[in-house]
Amino acid sequence: MSAEEWSALRLSFQVAMCAALAGLPLAVAVGYWLARARCGGKWLIEAVVNLPLVLPPVVTGYLLLVLLAPRGPIGAILQDLLGIKIVFTWWGAALASMVMGFPLMVRAIRLAFQAVDPRLEMAARTLGAGGAATFFTISLPLARRGVVAGWVLAFARSLGEFGATIMVAGNIEGQTRTIPLAVYTLSNQPDGMGQAWRLVALSVLLSCGALAISELLERRPSQDVCA
Amino acid sequence: MSVLSFHCRHRYASGFALDVSFEIAGRITALFGPSGSGKTSVLSIIAGAFPPWQGHVRLNERTLLDTEKGVWLAPSRRNLGVVFQDALLFPHLTVERNLQYGQRYRRGGRRTVELSRVVEVLELAALLPRYPHNLSGGEKQRVALGRALLSGPEMLMLDEPLASLDDPLKGRILTYLERTIAEWNVPTLFVTHSQAEVRRIAEWVVVVDQGRVVGSGRPEDALTQPGPLTWTNSSGPVNLLRIDAIAAHADHVAARIGGQNVFLPLATLPGRSPSFIQFRPAEVSLSRQDVAGLSVRNHLHGRVCHVLSVEHAVFVAVDIGQILWAEITPQAARELQLVPGTDVTCLLKAHSLTLVP
Repeated sequence: MSAEEWSALRLSFQVAMCAALAGLPLAVAVGYWLARARCGGKWLIEAVVNLPLVLPPVVTGYLLLVLLAPRGPIGAILQDLLGIKIVFTWWGAALASMVMGFPLMVRAIRLAFQAVDPRLEMAARTLGAGGAATFFTISLPLARRGVVAGWVLAFARSLGEFGATIMVAGNIEGQTRTIPLAVYTLSNQPDGMGQAWRLVALSVLLSCGALAISELLERRPSQDVCA
Repeated sequence: MSVLSFHCRHRYASGFALDVSFEIAGRITALFGPSGSGKTSVLSIIAGAFPPWQGHVRLNERTLLDTEKGVWLAPSRRNLGVVFQDALLFPHLTVERNLQYGQRYRRGGRRTVELSRVVEVLELAALLPRYPHNLSGGEKQRVALGRALLSGPEMLMLDEPLASLDDPLKGRILTYLERTIAEWNVPTLFVTHSQAEVRRIAEWVVVVDQGRVVGSGRPEDALTQPGPLTWTNSSGPVNLLRIDAIAAHADHVAARIGGQNVFLPLATLPGRSPSFIQFRPAEVSLSRQDVAGLSVRNHLHGRVCHVLSVEHAVFVAVDIGQILWAEITPQAARELQLVPGTDVTCLLKAHSLTLVP
C-alpha cells in the first residue's frame, strides 16, 4: 500500500477510536436513563438522540459546522478560552463521527439495560449499596455485552462516516482524509481506480469484522461468560 | 417495645387501595393473606421500593418513612435483609461473591454476622464456587437468606420464600430458617399465603385481605377464627395441630394433643419427632354421641365454637383443647343440629394424619 493509503487507514482508526471512546460515557448514561426513566420528557431526548440517524449526514455536518466554526456559538468559546480549533482538523472528523455513531451506541446500550431485571438493582440497594455502587457493581456488569456491542457498532459506523466528516473536517490529505474520503477522492482521479479498489476491500473487511464482533457479543446470553 | 411500626395508605393506578396498620414485637411475625391482598405491597413499602401516599414506618424507633415530616430513607440506608420470592441472586457473581456482596456494604450496624458461620448453618460450603443459574430453587433461597443475613440487618423480611418450592423442600428450608432465627435472633417478617407455614414458624400473625388488616394474634388463635378464613379465593381452613408429647409403643404411636390421646400410624414416625399433625377438614367426621365398634381409632371430644356455611359445605370449628375444623355437608349439619356450644365427638382415622416435622 502507498503512504497515502496507510495514512488514510491510520487516520480512520484514530478518528473512529476517538469518536467511539468519547461518546461511550454519555451513551451509557443516556442509554441507562432511557431504559429506566418513566417521565414525560423521554420522547424528546429520544428524538434528539436519534436525529442523526434520519437526517442527511450532510445536514448534520452543516449544523455542526455552523456551531463549531471559529465564529460559531460553540466554536468561538473553544477558540477564545482554550485555543482549540475543531473545524478542518481531525478533531472535527472525530466529533462528526461521534455524533453520527451515537444513536447506534445508545440503542444497543439501552436494550442491554432494559434486559437487566430492575429488581436485582432493588436487591442490591436493600443490601446497602447506594445508587452509584448498584450501577457499577450490578447494572453495568450485567449489561456489559450490550455496552461493548454498542461501542463496536459506533466504531464501525465511524470508520465509514463520510457526509458529516467532509462538511466539518474537509478533505485534507494526511489530516482529515479518512478511508471513505480517500476512496471518494481516488475515484475522481483517472488513475485512482486500483488504489480505490484496495481501500474499498479494506473497508468492507473492517466493517464485516466489526459487525461480526457486535453480533457475537449480543447473541450470547450474559450468564454464559461467567462460568 | 415494638420492632416495627407500620401505618400506611396508598392507592395504586389500578384502583387497588391499601390501608394497613400493624406493629410487630415478637421474633417471627407472619404477614398472611391470599394473593392480591396487599402483602407484597406492604413489604415493598417497608423496603423502600416506593413512597406511599401517606403514612409512617418505624424500625426500632428509627423513622424510615414519615410522609408528614417528609422523611423517606433510601433503601440502602434502611438496614433490612430482604429475601425475595425468586431469590434475586446476582447472576454474574458466584455464590461466594453474592454472599460477600451482603457484607460489602454493611452499615455500622450492631449485628455482625460471620461469613463462615452462615456457610456452616445454611450448609453452603459446596455451593460457594457455583453460579446462581446452576442452583436449584431451594439452594437459591438458602443463598439469598445468607446474603440478607450478612448485611447485618435489624430485621429480616421474607417475601413468600417457599412459594416456588415443592413440599418436602419447603420443610427443609423452614428448618434452615428456624436455625437462622435461633442462631442470630433476628426479628423476622415472613410474608406467606400458606396457613401451614404460619402455624409452623410464626409467633404472631397479621392477616391481610383486600388491602386491610382483618385480624392479628397468635397463629393458633387468629387462624382458627372464621373471620380471616372466609376469603372467597381461599381453600378454607387447614388443620395443623401441635403435638404436646409423643410416645412410641409396641404396636402404635400415641401423641398428646390438646390434653387428649391421638393414635398415629407406626410406620410414619420419622427419625426426628414431629411437631404437628396435619389433615384436611373433610377427613373429620362428627358425631353427637360417642360410638363404639368403629375401626376409626381417634375419638376426640370437644365443643363446637363456630359454624360457617360456604357454598356447598359447612365448616365447623371444634375446640378439643386446640381448634380443629371439620368440613361436612349442609344436610349433615342440619341433621346434627350443630350450633356453637354443642358437644361433639370428632372421628379421625389414624391413616388420614400426616406428620409435619
